[in-house]
Amino acid sequence: MSTTTANAPATDLLRTVGEYPVIQQDDESKFHGKRLIFLSWENHLMYAAPFAVPLPPNLPFGALVRDVLPLLYGEHPEFEAIDWQRTHWFNSGKRFIPDFGKSLEHHGLTHKSLIRFRTPALEGVRGSQGF
Amino acid sequence: MDTKVVKKKLGLKERYAAMTRGLHWETTYQPMDKVFPFDRYEGIVIHDWDKWEDPFRLTMDAYWKYQGEKERKLYAVIEAFAQNHGELAVTDARYINALKLFIQGVTPLEYYAHRGFAHAGRQFTGAGARVAAQMQSVDELRHFQTETHAISHYNKYFNGMHNTNHWFDNVWYLSVPKSFFEDAYSGGPFEFLTAVSFSFEYVLTNLLFVPFMSGAAHNGDMSTVTFGFSAQSDESRHMTLGIECIKFMLEQDPANVPIVQRWMDKWFWRGYRLLTLVAMMQDYMLPKRVMSWKEAWEMYAESNGGALFTDLARFGIRKPLGWDEACEGKNHISHQAWATFYQYTHAAAFHTWLPSESEMAWLSGKYPDTFDKYYRARFEHWAKVQADPKEGRWFNQFLPMLCQTCQVPMFFTEPRDASQICFRESTYLGQKYHFCSDHCKRIFDHEPKKYIQAWLPVQQIYQGSCYPDDINPASPGDSPVREVLRYYGIEGGADNGDFTTSPDREHFANWSGRRAVAAADKI
Repeated sequence: MSTTTANAPATDLLRTVGEYPVIQQDDESKFHGKRLIFLSWENHLMYAAPFAVPLPPNLPFGALVRDVLPLLYGEHPEFEAIDWQRTHWFNSGKRFIPDFGKSLEHHGLTHKSLIRFRTPALEGVRGSQGF
Repeated sequence: MDTKVVKKKLGLKERYAAMTRGLHWETTYQPMDKVFPFDRYEGIVIHDWDKWEDPFRLTMDAYWKYQGEKERKLYAVIEAFAQNHGELAVTDARYINALKLFIQGVTPLEYYAHRGFAHAGRQFTGAGARVAAQMQSVDELRHFQTETHAISHYNKYFNGMHNTNHWFDNVWYLSVPKSFFEDAYSGGPFEFLTAVSFSFEYVLTNLLFVPFMSGAAHNGDMSTVTFGFSAQSDESRHMTLGIECIKFMLEQDPANVPIVQRWMDKWFWRGYRLLTLVAMMQDYMLPKRVMSWKEAWEMYAESNGGALFTDLARFGIRKPLGWDEACEGKNHISHQAWATFYQYTHAAAFHTWLPSESEMAWLSGKYPDTFDKYYRARFEHWAKVQADPKEGRWFNQFLPMLCQTCQVPMFFTEPRDASQICFRESTYLGQKYHFCSDHCKRIFDHEPKKYIQAWLPVQQIYQGSCYPDDINPASPGDSPVREVLRYYGIEGGADNGDFTTSPDREHFANWSGRRAVAAADKI
């Protein structure tokens, strides 16, 4: 997971003719009490891209695994075989061990966080050369 | 006694000067800087606008004459095409989906280009550049119009072409070309010309036009071929404007070089990401293929573009950043994009389908290093699922994460590792932003205030901007996708979905069958 780098922009080179408004188009306040969470099951490219899902900040991590992930990834032939106890979780590239009873908020999963999870025994149909 | 009036006939060069630069004056009531506020703020220093070369020396009256002739020829062909039911002569109704992509995603860009050049044609203080930009502005409006007229014939017979302006403003994959042009024309006039005249028209245009137009020719669509030719003859003028503008900026002041280089880096990459849609069209949507995306990239980008940057080295310009990744991407992006549209076709406005065995054999042959290794297994799995009556055609029901800069779903993989999605991230004013590549991240990092305003279709759907008025965005009901399609004005299954079950396919088979019968009756 060393490929994800979270750092602030080094230089602002924007030139303008006048005042330039600062508009956070995707501010958390616009998501009706939810926050946007991105999810990626590593090596499983049958799903073309990671998902974007609005979730309540107080959603228990266990509910994410039990209720949300099957909706997103359940049609993959390997999904049933996932051992959630052996799954590796990453928040923007940083490994964390989830507490299934605690909320997304508790895990520091702020608005627009990216959760990537790796299932070591399952590397996709035909391994990394498949999907 | 009448005085004899000597009519002085001007030579071509004098006439050109009189009709362009001769119309310019230095303002006196107001300072020039106030009348032309956009001319300097980008940091480009121009010492002498008279050094601007006008390779075509075209005046407005000559321009009307040439364009008028082209229009007459074009409309004669379009008319004949309509009267002879040319739409039934195309190879296969799958081909029409390439035209849908064109009218949805490319034609609106002509209109944006018209607006951008109208702005540049007002704002440069140099009259030569202003006149060239004004003519191109009219060209682009003409292209929008002729493409709309030519393709409107298909709209009478096929789905997915009836609401393209609304789709361009809202639908997820069309935000890719839309955001490209909005980014370009919200820059200053010099950046706009670098973006559109140079990076897009000069470096990349062949990769846009040749695949569509030669694809049309190979698939029996003479109407599209004709508007392609009619537009292409303007493109040579546009390309000359592009290279002239770049050389002019580079020659005027050494301080311009790093600014222009950064724009080239930015706009090469943005253009390349946009061309992903063309790559997909070329490899998967043409029943009769012309050449692979990889071959087109090698010919038009690596070979021609490589020579161009060798030529520009004397100004201190190097190849754009991202060039190597783009060259590596030639083996991947068309497959990744088609796999994406295959699973999200129910949220798009054209049909997709699985490549047949023989088409996959063609892809294996054209992409010996990647197709079988990475992509074939996905298509074979989906074919198995689709053929199983218990399962049926698979659609991905949940919305994808998008890149903040290029707005393409995050399906691009890591350089040198096609098994891993490429993720990059920045934090700005406390909020996280995600990117598909180092280059999209760099573009954001240089101008974050601009890109945090991006109108990302997925985020907008969740915010509630893409529902009909009778829907509460906080609780859109059991099928948010259905409501979004209703807002888009897309009819599920007719305007999108799998080609094999589409009305387009059925109609084409019936109509072309009828035509064969009618012809046989005459004999």
